[in-house]
Amino acid sequence: MTRRNIIAVLSLAGVFLATYLSLYKLGIIGSLACGTGQCEVVQTSQWATLVGAPVALWGVGFYLAMFAASVAGSFGHLTESRAISVALVVMSGWGVLFSGWLTYVEVVKIEAICRWCVASAILVLALFVLSIGEMKKDSRESRVEG
Amino acid sequence: MAKAPVRKQNNRTFIGLLVLVGVVGVGALGYVLTRPGEKALTVDPSIPAGTAEGYLLGRPDAPVQVMEFGDFECPGCGNFANVTEPDVRARLVNTGIVAFRFFDFPLSAHRNSWTAHVAASCAADQGKFWEMHDRIYAGQNEWGLTGSGEVTTNPIKVFRKYATEIGLDVKKWEDCLAAKPHEARIKANAAEGMRRQINGTPTFIIGNKMLPSDHVTGYDEFKRYVDEALAAATKSDSGKKATRTAPPRKGGAPEEK
Repeated sequence: MTRRNIIAVLSLAGVFLATYLSLYKLGIIGSLACGTGQCEVVQTSQWATLVGAPVALWGVGFYLAMFAASVAGSFGHLTESRAISVALVVMSGWGVLFSGWLTYVEVVKIEAICRWCVASAILVLALFVLSIGEMKKDSRESRVEG
Repeated sequence: MAKAPVRKQNNRTFIGLLVLVGVVGVGALGYVLTRPGEKALTVDPSIPAGTAEGYLLGRPDAPVQVMEFGDFECPGCGNFANVTEPDVRARLVNTGIVAFRFFDFPLSAHRNSWTAHVAASCAADQGKFWEMHDRIYAGQNEWGLTGSGEVTTNPIKVFRKYATEIGLDVKKWEDCLAAKPHEARIKANAAEGMRRQINGTPTFIIGNKMLPSDHVTGYDEFKRYVDEALAAATKSDSGKKATRTAPPRKGGAPEEK
């Protein structure tokens, strides 16, 4: 298993997590499984929508993009592609910043914690760490070849 | 030379994991999409309310009648009032779809709740029930429950501050607190809740559905039940008659608007 493989697996899990939150936000499912009951507080707050779409739906897009890039970079001639590594770092880096901001909003503004959002934030952080590792590996390999 | 079989093995593991995550994810989403809907008690909306009187927000003849049985000291009620209710008012009450009535249901376990209900009913005398309602809920941390009990043993001091903030004639309001002319109404509202077998707050009655708080945890869910009630009202009356959960008023102080 390469790092890209792991990124793909985690991204796919993220797709389902974000889809679950989106289904709630869009009113398709009635309630969230959330032990503390604060998920709804977060999901019904003004910060749960961005540019007219639920934040969770943006999350689905993010995870799908990460999934597509990492799967594409796991097979064929793209397995050695540095562009894929850079794309993964850029996307996951953006994800970390956005998740960090959302976590700040949860703690400071809304004063409620949604465990699914925390799970997503941890997932994004893991994706970022793996992506950085992948890019460093590429850099080492290109130095050796050079 | 041995790299190819290793890579093949890795790919198999990778694809196997993807399939596993995919199956679990699709299965979990399938479950939440197809599980039976939240259970709600079906109640007879024509039950007469006796002398109980809710505080009305919106058009009394709105097609969907909603009742909330709430306790001012209950954190869940505060959460609904602060987080969900603004959306309910903006999108459902102000648009004429919902008539929203608040019924006092002070729980005996909450020591400051009764005082809060009296404070709000006295604000109603000056036409500011909802302003006081909102302020009381927004300030629960100043007078309500903490982990070890109530924050204060003198909630009136806090409510007096709120009365000033929302622009009440504080002297009149204090006279009302002392005279307690609305205790009968608060008791009647609570009795009405008991009669309807309400055992927790907040409890909502939307159309003909009685919904404990864990069934209405956000605006989307609230709206879903309103949509159901609206569809039922439209179907049964072709839009002519309203679904009524509250009976016509029987006199007494004018309802808040």
